[in-house]
Amino acid sequence: MMDLTLTQSFSLIALNGQRSLEMTVPKKVALRCMAAAVIVELYMENGFTHSQTQLTLSQEVLDQSRSLPYRDVIVKSLARKNESIGDLRNWLRRASSLPASTLKKLESAVAQSLRNEGILEEIPHILGSDLYFHTAGVSIKEYRTHPKYYTSITEFLRADILEDGEAADETVAMLWLLRESGCLLDFFSRNEMEQVSAKMIALYKGNALAQVLYATQIRRGMELGIKQYFRMKKKAIKTPVGSGLNFVFPVLERSQAIFIDTEKMFPNPTARLHDVRTRLESKGHIVNVLKDGDVPIIKVDNVIYDAVPHAVYGRVPIHGVRLIPKCPF
Amino acid sequence: MSRQRSMEAILASDYVSIGELVRLTESRYSTLKHYTEEGMLPYEQEEQNLTRRYKREETVARIQQIKEWKAQGLSIPQIKEELRAN
Repeated sequence: MMDLTLTQSFSLIALNGQRSLEMTVPKKVALRCMAAAVIVELYMENGFTHSQTQLTLSQEVLDQSRSLPYRDVIVKSLARKNESIGDLRNWLRRASSLPASTLKKLESAVAQSLRNEGILEEIPHILGSDLYFHTAGVSIKEYRTHPKYYTSITEFLRADILEDGEAADETVAMLWLLRESGCLLDFFSRNEMEQVSAKMIALYKGNALAQVLYATQIRRGMELGIKQYFRMKKKAIKTPVGSGLNFVFPVLERSQAIFIDTEKMFPNPTARLHDVRTRLESKGHIVNVLKDGDVPIIKVDNVIYDAVPHAVYGRVPIHGVRLIPKCPF
Repeated sequence: MSRQRSMEAILASDYVSIGELVRLTESRYSTLKHYTEEGMLPYEQEEQNLTRRYKREETVARIQQIKEWKAQGLSIPQIKEELRAN
């Protein structure tokens, strides 16, 4: 397994399951965080020269960034104002507020580098298997991270933060990036989140990098409003009644619930699941059945779903299965 | 600052952390934690609250062995018996 930079590791998590052709809100937030990840990566590799509280990109970084095109995009965009940017927090703010055109260039540079390594690919979006999209012939593409790398990155992060001992700087930065991009809840259960919060508070008190990162927010305008809405929803779903609602409306819509119509009304769950699996695999998705039963749990391209038998009622009832994204832990 | 070790550095090291074992064996953290708590993966810990360290070669070989036994259909108690017998 090859070593990846912080930006590459974070991008593999943040881009997985996101639409590759359209600029959705979750993807825009992810791209802002990826731009900030480039700055953190350079900072960790001593790519800045310090003078009091001011940071300036070293000449070496300016020369070498060409070898990594995704760094080049950010460095070129910010180098013009190199003198006046200030401390690390200002660099992060400036990088994360770059215009959408630069974010698109960053996305294509990062995605290309990961595609060249064979660890990121574009596949038909899972929404394309939904009854309404499938029958309308709408084609949507999404990114998919190689499952081996996705699991390795997320499991290393979980081990490094949940275990006793000092966390690596990459983990400190990754937690912040995941928090800012709204991905953190995908990897930790509610109980684990309490441990993670305690660890992040301890890091904030004792780790210089965490002190800067954890006090910095990457949010803007409309996105901030959406975050606030999700926060309100998160509070609501902590109640028993709210947990029921969460089954229907996932906490953060980075993944979507979809309805897959089956060819007929099957007499048993196994035949129904087989039909759904065939549909998904015909669209290029990797499907693993984690648990059988009346409501099976399946994993489609790194995202876990409850496959709930369901029917849509129009002039005639259409039987099928609704896939509802599920927290894996 | 403490940086994440590269794969090359991990492979040259005698001792590894549980996170590094995750990368080396492509296993889940929760699985390895469970094996550790069941006493199937011996470790060293200098003091409480410090990182648990595993002997790299021995532990990787043991995880591979456990995976093979699991593939053969053995349960965790049976695997523990096998480990004790060996």
